[in-house]
Amino acid sequence: MKKFFATAFARGLFWQFVGTLLGAGLITGIRAAMGLSVTDKFFFTEPAWVLGGFIGVLFFLGGNGSVSDWFKWARGIDTPEHHEEHYSGWEKYFHVSLDHKVIGIQYTVVALALISIGGLFALIFRTELAASKLQFLTEDLLLFGQNGLQLYNTLMSLHGMIMIVSILLGVAGIINYVVPLLLGAQDMAFPRLNAFSFWVAVPAAVLLLMSLVLGGFDTGWTGYPPLSARAPVGVQMFFLGVFTAGWSSILGALNVIATVIRMRSKGMTAWRMPIFVWAAVATSLIALTATQLIGLSFQLVMFQRLFGMGFFDPAKGGNPVLFQHLFWFYSHPAVYVFVLPGLGVISELLPVFARKPLFGYRWIAMSSLGIALVGFVVWAHHMFTSGMNSYLRLPFMYSTLLVAIPTGVKFFSWVATLWKGKIETPTPMLFVLGGIVVFLMGGLSGPPNATVSTDLHLHDTYFIVGHFHDTIFGGFVFPFFAALYYWFPKATGRRMNEFWGKVHFWMMTPSFFVLTLGMMRIGLLGMRRRIADYDPALGFDTTHLILTIAGYLIGLSVLIFFFNFFNSIKNGEKADGNVWNSRSPEWQVPSPMPMHNYDQPFEVVGEPYDYGLPGSKYVEFSAPAKNTHK
Amino acid sequence: MQHFVIVGILIVIMSILTYFGLDAAGLAKQMHPVSASAQAVSIDWLWDWQVIAMSSLFALIFVPLVYSLVVFRRRKGETGDGEHIEGNTTLEITWTVLPLFAVLAFAYMGAYSLGETNRVDPEAIEIKVRAQQFTWTFEYPEYGFVSTELHLPVNQQVVLKMESADVIHSFWVPEFRVKQDVVPGRVTDYRITPTLVGNYKVRCAELCGMSHYKMENPVVVDTQADYDVWIAEQQANAAAAQTPEGQGQLLTVKYGCIGCHSVDGSKLVGPSWLGIYGSTREFADGTSAVADDAYITQSIREPLAHEVLGFSPSTMPPFTLTDEEIANIIAYLKTLK
Amino acid sequence: MSHILDKSSAFRQGVVIFVYLAVLTVLEYFVAVTFNAVSILVVVAVIKAALVMYYYMHVYKLNEESGADAHSYSYKTDTNRLGLWLFLLSDSFVFAGLMTARVNLLGLTRPHLNQLLGLAVTAVLLISSFFMNRGETAMAHGDKKGFMTNTIITFLLGLGFLLGVVAVEWPLAAEEGLTASSSATGAIFYMMTGMHAFHVFTGLIFLVVVWNNARKNIYSAEQHWGVEAAAVYWHFVDLVWIFFYPALYLIGKVL
Ligand code: HEA
Ligand code: HEA
Ligand code: HEC
Ligand code: CUA
Ligand SMILES: [Cu+2]
Repeated sequence: MKKFFATAFARGLFWQFVGTLLGAGLITGIRAAMGLSVTDKFFFTEPAWVLGGFIGVLFFLGGNGSVSDWFKWARGIDTPEHHEEHYSGWEKYFHVSLDHKVIGIQYTVVALALISIGGLFALIFRTELAASKLQFLTEDLLLFGQNGLQLYNTLMSLHGMIMIVSILLGVAGIINYVVPLLLGAQDMAFPRLNAFSFWVAVPAAVLLLMSLVLGGFDTGWTGYPPLSARAPVGVQMFFLGVFTAGWSSILGALNVIATVIRMRSKGMTAWRMPIFVWAAVATSLIALTATQLIGLSFQLVMFQRLFGMGFFDPAKGGNPVLFQHLFWFYSHPAVYVFVLPGLGVISELLPVFARKPLFGYRWIAMSSLGIALVGFVVWAHHMFTSGMNSYLRLPFMYSTLLVAIPTGVKFFSWVATLWKGKIETPTPMLFVLGGIVVFLMGGLSGPPNATVSTDLHLHDTYFIVGHFHDTIFGGFVFPFFAALYYWFPKATGRRMNEFWGKVHFWMMTPSFFVLTLGMMRIGLLGMRRRIADYDPALGFDTTHLILTIAGYLIGLSVLIFFFNFFNSIKNGEKADGNVWNSRSPEWQVPSPMPMHNYDQPFEVVGEPYDYGLPGSKYVEFSAPAKNTHK
Repeated sequence: MQHFVIVGILIVIMSILTYFGLDAAGLAKQMHPVSASAQAVSIDWLWDWQVIAMSSLFALIFVPLVYSLVVFRRRKGETGDGEHIEGNTTLEITWTVLPLFAVLAFAYMGAYSLGETNRVDPEAIEIKVRAQQFTWTFEYPEYGFVSTELHLPVNQQVVLKMESADVIHSFWVPEFRVKQDVVPGRVTDYRITPTLVGNYKVRCAELCGMSHYKMENPVVVDTQADYDVWIAEQQANAAAAQTPEGQGQLLTVKYGCIGCHSVDGSKLVGPSWLGIYGSTREFADGTSAVADDAYITQSIREPLAHEVLGFSPSTMPPFTLTDEEIANIIAYLKTLK
Repeated sequence: MSHILDKSSAFRQGVVIFVYLAVLTVLEYFVAVTFNAVSILVVVAVIKAALVMYYYMHVYKLNEESGADAHSYSYKTDTNRLGLWLFLLSDSFVFAGLMTARVNLLGLTRPHLNQLLGLAVTAVLLISSFFMNRGETAMAHGDKKGFMTNTIITFLLGLGFLLGVVAVEWPLAAEEGLTASSSATGAIFYMMTGMHAFHVFTGLIFLVVVWNNARKNIYSAEQHWGVEAAAVYWHFVDLVWIFFYPALYLIGKVL
């Protein structure tokens, strides 16, 4: 326990607490001096909370030591390229480390923690939805300064945003762990920036959760003004949290692009990079640029609330629809940030388990870039009913439909990869296959939303909710689990239990089909999104009950996963060799991966996925890889 | 070759099964809420094509995937790799171009269907809609009355001129299919031609705060005769309500007060008005006051002035009403005993 | 290292580019007050931006071959340079977003502002870029003293710009009734200038840091990535103003 309180993680949280109080106190002091009110419903006034939240983040970063090297540089003091690793075992992961593998795992674990929290929120509000009439989130309930209705909205909105942040962190986790290994690099291009990108996400998550106890907010994850301009203080913490998480995403993406351009090993030309690297680049291009716009849009609402700046206030000549444009300019491409790495994982693992080359490697690589680029010009398909200029509807319908083409190329190529293979189906492959089918359902439910006239019916119903749970689960959650099962032995030298892995899969997949198909069904019949209660006359009670049960089963399967995950770290079956018989360079050296990755540099001498071509080789180590364990 | 024939047949079977499966599960045409407007026709038409396309594309991928899993699985004791096939440019081009045609077809059908839903009838009846947390009010400018129910004559196009008093709402009657946001600071149009007599509900489809889920008002499609009767009734009511109380009651409809305040003692987002006038109001800070004219006037103009125990003052927007209007409302409140 | 000019021609190039920029700025102002042709203003801004990016920010250096030794200073500098440009690319999306908001909210109108003051601060910022270029060029030729002097001048001009906007223009505008909370116009004006001023402010801090490090003899003609980064960042801030200035002061009819 004492050791825990000495970690950078605990220190950071402590300083964030101090910083928040200091910042809030400062504003309160100033307000007192100016004769303004100093307390409010949630003790501090809104400006005090905002500055407090902001200073808290700075204090977290200062306090946990993730920026100290930069301060040294600014004072003209040089620091060694890598720090000596002072800690071992679990402690390593709670301290600031510059090793991309440690950071990758840190990201992943935080992502899993957030998925649990977000999932728990979903289970709470799903319980309320299990039957019509308000059961426990009633108007008389008073919790965290909110009544039940408000709490429903807060939980629902936080569910959305926490899940999205957890995806961003999960994506960063896999990319961080895997990309340098695939490239043969010792680390990312900017290890300190990498550590910073991770650590800034921790106070961001704290801020998001703080919004729950500061009166919550009732805007959905999209935070449209004018509603968000009137919501309780909680919405400010939400904005600030997303803003901060955005920086994590932006800087992480910058690092990935620089790493791929600058850190490839000898012989690794663009067309010989493992396919996952292409996906990582496409994702990063979006995250690097578009993310700024969600930060900006939330910042503008924040300022509207704090300083009365009327960007989106029609009474002052502002325009509420402008917000939606700025917001979706990020938030649409963002959905491709979620899926591209997931689809990359699918493309990366399929050849390994089909024992066949990846069909149409270049087409798949280009389709990732294609999706990313087209994704930049489709944002207004979320706004067909918003009252924007109606001549914008058609071009956005056309551009949106176009995304189906590069996505289709991926699907067809995957199927062709499986064709005539010698397919094995251990747990990671099961999740890959599940991901393909679920994402297919999600993807195919996209075009009906894209054709304007059908969207007029579907918009803001559970059909959309079903659509995006499908795309997100198929494009991210399933591949994420596949990646965890697949690279687990690389990180730990042990493998996860197959039996429980299969239980996880066979429990989650059918429940998930039921969940989303049920959502789409009631959506079509008139179930609106974001409602705490529904008209019993609509006759949705049975379906909703089934949905709730399915939700619980998914939660249970995730719980089983957690049990398997943590148990296998210590007790899993030893697996230090090339468990999956892969050609990829990271599997040519013993597991767990040594501290500075490859003891000998390698040279790329062939194609990455030439399974079935006798005598072919992808990489060649300049000296035979040492087979010693560390 | 044999593989391809089998897969081809299976794809066809699977497409059909998927389509009817979806239909049975309520995802296709059959179980839509009943279609009650001319606009719904072209939307349902497009939707049906979408489901057909979805079903066959799903089968197109799903069948060869499962087929490969079964037929090309690694059997016990088998070693070695699959066939070394790197790719095939012709195939890649084929499955880029064919979906492109599908996309073009849907783009065309989408544009056509949208055009149908937007078709303008110059004779359309105009009705003003006012959305606010958490109720709808409908004003019939031709006849000079307001109502919380929307009545529409069948087979006659209406255009709703919609305005919001506070945040964004969205006008949606599922049976009409079409949906349109109501945005503060601008007037949005909603064009519909009801075709089926019946009782429906407008359900607000854009999250607009705490009681968004309750923001539903009745929508009635009448035969022309019933419609005329209803109009006459409403006009008569409006004429009868020339007393201050009557005017006050109409105002509480017009400004949507009754979206938050009940008159029967039940608790909505705001305190009930039953017996409010002259009663002692208790505030969250422990003080209290008697609800007289001044108090009620202040409550309407500056809701933030006091926090009634158990309610959140920022919920109610400040209303800038004239003195006369307020006097009428007070007169009405006095009648609620 | 083909692009390295000898010291005096490098200085001369800086002067020539500065003159171009100054002339274009005057032209811009002239176009705005006489016949306000938006298209010309946009073209001029783009030309100015291109000049700054090429000659002051040396964007072509991204293309340099840095040899194979991944542990050498020059290899790392090239990686850092890529990183910095990626950051600037990202940052420019914030400004583009603000610009979009401006176009959406104001269209072809603009707030009533003090024209002469606008021209003055613009000139000050432009001149500061000139001195920044001289400072960096000096350091690239090992002239530490020249670097220190020019950086101080840049810093003072930058501070002048910052105060000109925040301490003079803002109160002036507020006096005329244009406050942050008065209207969407006011909001967007303060947001754009404020966001830009924030970047100027961070640029000033950056200048202090490299100046101080130069004092400690950390940089040399061969190894001065910190100086280059500060200079490129400074020019980027100038680049943003090249677009913001016409957007706020020149384009459209006064409200
Ligand atoms: C991972 C996330 C993800 C992904 C990948 C997608 C993918 C797509 N989405 Fe989705 N979407 C979301 C997440 C995602 N979406 C979320 C979160 C929302 C709601 C946000 C909110 O309001 O809260 C949303 C909402 C949303 C809307 C707005 C609906 C509304 O609110 O009214 C629309 C409208 O066009 C849309 C369309 C699409 C399309 C066309 C695709 C396409 O990319 C799909 C392409 C894939 C295929 C089509 C399948 C494979 C292709 C073939 C087999 C080839 C042949 C196919 C054809 C010729 C059709 N999505
Ligand atoms: C990654 C994205 C993601 C994921 C994984 C999920 C997962 C789930 N979501 Fe989703 N959801 C969204 C993203 C996501 N959601 C978004 C973006 C919205 C829109 C929000 C908005 O409208 O603003 C939304 C909205 C949304 C709604 C609509 C709410 C409304 O409109 O009113 C519903 C309703 O059923 C729902 C249900 C579920 C369920 C049952 C799950 C289940 O899969 C959850 C399963 C449970 C777990 C995964 C948790 C497992 C963990 C434990 C049981 C605890 C273990 C604890 C420890 C180890 C400490 N979600
Ligand atoms: C969006 C919801 C909403 C609307 C619309 C609304 N109110 Fe209210 N009203 C409230 C709430 C909530 C309170 C409790 C306010 C408080 O705590 O100060 C309240 C309080 C009041 C009170 C004081 C009640 C008491 O118990 O002391 C009066 C009188 C009143 N409203 C009148 C009106 C009138 C008249 C209108 C329409 C012109 C109106 N309200 C519209 C939500 C609303
Ligand atoms: Cu009004 Cu939701
Ligand atoms: Cu989208």
